[in-house]
Amino acid sequence: MSAFLSYLIHGISLGCGFALIASGIIIIYRVTRVVNLAQGMFAVVAGFSAASVLDARVPHPLAELLAIAAAAVVGTLTGFVAIGKRGTSPQASLIATLGVGVLGYAVEVLIWGDQPRSFTGLLGSYELLGVDIAKQYLLIVPVTLFVFAGLELFFERTYAGKAMSACASNPYAAALQGIGVLRMGLYAFGLGGALGGVAGVLLTPLQPVSYDSDVSLFVNGFATAILAGLKRPVLALAGGLVLGVAESMVAGYAKASYQSSLALLLTLAILIAQAVRREALHTVEE
Amino acid sequence: MIQVDDLCVRYGAATALEGVSLSVARGEKVALIGANGAGKSTLLNALSGMVPKASGSIRVEGRLAHVPEGRQLFPDLTVEDNLSLGAYRGGEHNPAWIYELLPELGRLRRQRAGSLSGGQQQMVAIGRGLMARPDVIAIDEMSLGLAPIIVQQLASRLSELNAQSGLTLLLVEQSARVALALCERAYVLETGRIVAQGTSAELRDSPFVEAAYLGSPVGAAS
Amino acid sequence: MRLDPRTLGIAALAIAGFAAAALLDESLLSVYVLLALTASVTIGVSLLMGHAGQVSLGHGAFYACGAYAAGILATHGAPTWLGLLLAPVAAAAVATVVGVPLLLLRGHHLAFATLAFHLISLSLISELSVTGGDVGLQGIPRLSIAGLTLTSVRSYAYLSCAALLLIVLVARNILGSRPGRALRALSSSEVAAASSGVAVGHYKLAVFALSAGFAGLAGGIYAFYMGYLAPGSFPVMLSIEYIVMATVGGLGKVSGALTGSTLVFLFAHGLSRVGTLSGMPSTAPIILSYAVYAVLLVSAVLFLPGGVVGGIAALGARTRAGKSLALTEPKGRTPSGEKPPEPATSEPVASKHGSFS
Repeated sequence: MSAFLSYLIHGISLGCGFALIASGIIIIYRVTRVVNLAQGMFAVVAGFSAASVLDARVPHPLAELLAIAAAAVVGTLTGFVAIGKRGTSPQASLIATLGVGVLGYAVEVLIWGDQPRSFTGLLGSYELLGVDIAKQYLLIVPVTLFVFAGLELFFERTYAGKAMSACASNPYAAALQGIGVLRMGLYAFGLGGALGGVAGVLLTPLQPVSYDSDVSLFVNGFATAILAGLKRPVLALAGGLVLGVAESMVAGYAKASYQSSLALLLTLAILIAQAVRREALHTVEE
Repeated sequence: MIQVDDLCVRYGAATALEGVSLSVARGEKVALIGANGAGKSTLLNALSGMVPKASGSIRVEGRLAHVPEGRQLFPDLTVEDNLSLGAYRGGEHNPAWIYELLPELGRLRRQRAGSLSGGQQQMVAIGRGLMARPDVIAIDEMSLGLAPIIVQQLASRLSELNAQSGLTLLLVEQSARVALALCERAYVLETGRIVAQGTSAELRDSPFVEAAYLGSPVGAAS
Repeated sequence: MRLDPRTLGIAALAIAGFAAAALLDESLLSVYVLLALTASVTIGVSLLMGHAGQVSLGHGAFYACGAYAAGILATHGAPTWLGLLLAPVAAAAVATVVGVPLLLLRGHHLAFATLAFHLISLSLISELSVTGGDVGLQGIPRLSIAGLTLTSVRSYAYLSCAALLLIVLVARNILGSRPGRALRALSSSEVAAASSGVAVGHYKLAVFALSAGFAGLAGGIYAFYMGYLAPGSFPVMLSIEYIVMATVGGLGKVSGALTGSTLVFLFAHGLSRVGTLSGMPSTAPIILSYAVYAVLLVSAVLFLPGGVVGGIAALGARTRAGKSLALTEPKGRTPSGEKPPEPATSEPVASKHGSFS
């Protein structure tokens, strides 16, 4: 029982991280039609930055906020590369984000070396039902909920958020109203960067990051985004939890090395099932 | 109000507009008639700055609201949000006065714009355009796909606005009937060039216009 | 026999390639072998990306597939030439099976799916005992064909050059044939291709399997050349490298793939060597090579859509044609009163997708 509980809690925390990364992917995709392959890199940059800033004796919440800000900047820069040039097709932008991700590797190794790093988050643990739960786990869920609530509020209730949704909904009409579609795209990338950053500072105390952590983070984030149908960020929360818990269970009860394949196979299954349904519709029409 | 001289717009190697000149004075109701592909939407896009011009000049005094072909609403957003985003360039975000003008929209305010009927969507699109407090409103294919009675209602609302506040109208239409009924003057656009212009009465009497543009019934997908 | 530029080009390639293999110093031959193998895979990736618009983030897995197929067969007693022969077959077979569901996907979904395929393959390789798991496959015997055992690096240089030429010939012939012209139709528009009666799905699968076969053959040679294999030899970064080379060189053209792989590979390798000079930190090689890939990829995709080859061709065309571009003039009404054809679209340039499509 205690093993189950600890897997569950670990899974929920992982899932929150996936959901945050997924929300970044979704927002960027909705506003710019680009799938950001560098999304995992934002989390890694934040994790590394937080570790360095903490080493420099900057106190806790400030260090994390600085790290998130750094990730937001990196996100915006990625946006510049991906969509800054007029007439870049979504396909070309996709490859451009791939390039930025690889550049991220170079910069990360340059600044932080090629070894994994971590930092201590919340120290200590609570006991619940006979299981020691690290406080860090308990930090992740409320922070994630807070962020998602903030996102909902932003998109549903603020004028700027609605303008951004408008870009996602109909870029031509948005441009007609004077909404700067490029500018909104950059904001989306910046926001995506920040969201990746939050995931990074929350997860790094649990599992050390290294320059190539971004692949698994992206894979899981994208899987979650697919589960959410690439539509509303809020759905990503549910998808992330499902995926995180499932992976944690597989890692706990089966083999740890199968855990990443699970996300992959699940996503592939969904994507292919969707495609098959589309094909079936087409043949019916013919 | 609007002064276009010898406008030329190209897409790559293809010419969409060539030597187009027209003018609209303040408070006028002017129509632009043309078939599909004649370049009407291109002209409006050039006026609203969405498309660059290759040569010629465009002068617009004051604010121009471009209500695009096919309504182009934000389908996932509510009617209220659609309207308030019309004021993005500046001005009051609150669409309360639109609801006074078009009460039906007031009843629909919380509905998703994508779920509305064609006529309702057109009303939202016009409302969104009005939210910008424009001096001139240019509407592309208002009557397309709408029942004649709806078109009539929209047309009379626009007439009222024009009479009361001096809102200048530029109506772009495939259907000459609607356009000439509402407007005082009109231009006829064909494959990128102005081929005819005059008062509505003149054009209605012209055999050329009659043959090409008045033959088909209003509101049908002509 | 016509002496068209293409045949001349292939002949020139063959002469240059074999001459280099014969004349280059031993120390440079290992670079040569890897370059030839990399170029072989890149040709397949370039065709896939250029003609079917499909981004494959997983071709490293087919390279690995061929390598392991050859390696496993050879370490289990099969004759090495058989292992080499079956390497491309195995890779193509896997590609066919995997491609049927995968190629239903488009654009970024396919990119993700191919990435997933690579990762899952790595996972499998690390788990299975027949592949030697994480530790890898050791003791692959030297390749012997028709009684001749290849032991020197130079012999593998000849072999990899021959393989590359074979792949170039196959690719060129495929492109020139009727199916090949269909592929070119694919590259412009899937809708257009489908409506013209081309079995879009079949051709996509064929290109996919063929490109996998190329990678598999290269992988097979790699296995015998190295003598041992490990999952670490086939990271995701490998797949990304192929994409960089294909993009930089020019998608869809054999010449593009060759140009791109040579340029990028040598450049990255050179910088890597610089990184190992004394005084440089140990991480310098990684940093420099990643930076090179990234900058080249982004520059190519943003500023040189046709790659280096496309850029040169455009430069040539512009010099030949001067400044004139054919302008279609809209005509007035023809005397019979018919309407002349209208411009292709009346949609605004800032089309339905705003500025990024």
